[in-house]
Amino acid sequence: MKFIPDKDILLFKSCLVNVEYPGIESSTSYIFDRIDVEYYVDERQSCCTGLGHYYDLFDQLSTTALAARNFQIAAETGHKNIAVMCATCYAILKKSANILNQNEEARNKVNKILDDSNLEKMEYNTYDMDPVKNIFHVAEIFFNKRDKISSLVKVDLSGFRVATHHACHYCKVHYNDTIEGVRDPNLIDSLAAAVGVETIGWYDHKRVTCGAGFRQRFTNKEVSLAVTAEKLHVLKENEVEILLHMCPNCQMQFDRYQPYIENKLETEFNIFHLNISQFIALALGADPYKVLGIQTHTVPIEPLLKRLKLPFNIVDQKENAKAEKSLKN
Amino acid sequence: MKTIKLQNNSLKLVKDVLKDLKASPDLGIYKCVQCGMCTSVCPGASQTEYDPRDMIRRVLEDDETVIDDENIWNCFSCYTCNSICPSGNNASEINQILRQMSIDKGEGIQKIVSFSAYGDSFMELGVGSIPNTFFDVMVKDVGPEYMNLKLNIEDIRADLGLGSYILPEEAINEVESILDNSGFKNRLERIKRCKK
Ligand code: SF4
Ligand code: SF4
Repeated sequence: MKFIPDKDILLFKSCLVNVEYPGIESSTSYIFDRIDVEYYVDERQSCCTGLGHYYDLFDQLSTTALAARNFQIAAETGHKNIAVMCATCYAILKKSANILNQNEEARNKVNKILDDSNLEKMEYNTYDMDPVKNIFHVAEIFFNKRDKISSLVKVDLSGFRVATHHACHYCKVHYNDTIEGVRDPNLIDSLAAAVGVETIGWYDHKRVTCGAGFRQRFTNKEVSLAVTAEKLHVLKENEVEILLHMCPNCQMQFDRYQPYIENKLETEFNIFHLNISQFIALALGADPYKVLGIQTHTVPIEPLLKRLKLPFNIVDQKENAKAEKSLKN
Repeated sequence: MKTIKLQNNSLKLVKDVLKDLKASPDLGIYKCVQCGMCTSVCPGASQTEYDPRDMIRRVLEDDETVIDDENIWNCFSCYTCNSICPSGNNASEINQILRQMSIDKGEGIQKIVSFSAYGDSFMELGVGSIPNTFFDVMVKDVGPEYMNLKLNIEDIRADLGLGSYILPEEAINEVESILDNSGFKNRLERIKRCKK
């Protein structure tokens, strides 16, 4: 298996984690701090262009030039290992590193762009960034430290029926580098096991996309949501209560749109959606609002917490919203 | 002995595809055996008329009309085809290259013009964002709480111990300068001019 580092890590900010589920980032930090992972977040790091790239708006050269800049930020601060929270960042950065390492013409063009931008100091040399040895998903970093994670578990989550959704851009793009299975992906199942939760394992549709399809969710909504609905139906047949994610875009597709699909299809799925970082942080006893950030979820997580009977101060968000409204009136 | 005569330019399209910066050096398009496994696992194919196996065939047969085929815009970029192909081919990557060819020709611009605000936001903040028109639909679909989330995001981040997600000014200037010199700024202007 490939070597997975636990230090010199740049925790790579993701545009969707930033503004949709920032709790994924705080949960990741919470876990990293407790399993002795040395990491750093750099405010200068730009977005990877992922969404724009798959909207076909960005061209490959521009995406690669911005990646070169981010790689130099990582190296310059002594954090040449990158850990991402989003599967699309993972695929985009690995592809850019491949291009920069293998394609001399493209590398020269990128360096010319950097020179013309007065960023000579950021010029890229072959293998400044090794896509196999230096670029990881945070789930891989957790996997490498799963024994340590197990030793820290405080909350028993084994009473739930849990399934996993493995992000396409982690498993299926650079599939030679994927750990714990491509056609039968088990990376997050193994992490759930580390916190004492046995998932349902394989299910029909396990490796099917979330359905977001980048442009499809916006320009072809019915088609996009039909794919999501199919997967939700299979999960319901399997009586799944929690679906675990490893990509904020997948999480958005399921969490934001599950109530909408329930309405349209006049059915109920009642599935909670949590990122693997949020799930592990919860098992380690992290606060749902100050670390997990469940206040940004569309499908409320409070009913899950109530079943755990923990001493958390659970806020009933719907009641809160009502109260706020009546105060304003 | 029978020989297959290849016209000199009969592989023009596939050669152009392989020359593209997006094409991985080990892209196995010539090795495609037309088995159809890509199509059988493809969500685009199960929901629409799009057919990745046929798209590959047309590229190999130098059928340039594939570039103008509306159906190529139904790919989800999920790479399921890539993960299952027995020949090391990657229909997803080829689809993305064909779309860029359509954009370069001009027709494809209509398909992406509605996403141009993502590019504007990237140039201004160093981070892309959902274009307004789509955002409004999301608020309608997801509910007013979604709007509240967007309005309060910096406060929520502060509660979680996270700083502002917007890049410092100097970093934004660097990003903008790179995107100017890479040709993206011009590309975005060209796309926006096609807004009807
Ligand atoms: S691209 Fe691969 S999976 Fe698709 S038809 Fe060709 S060989 Fe089969
Ligand atoms: S990437 Fe596109 S062509 Fe490949 S399986 Fe997904 S939707 Fe189909």
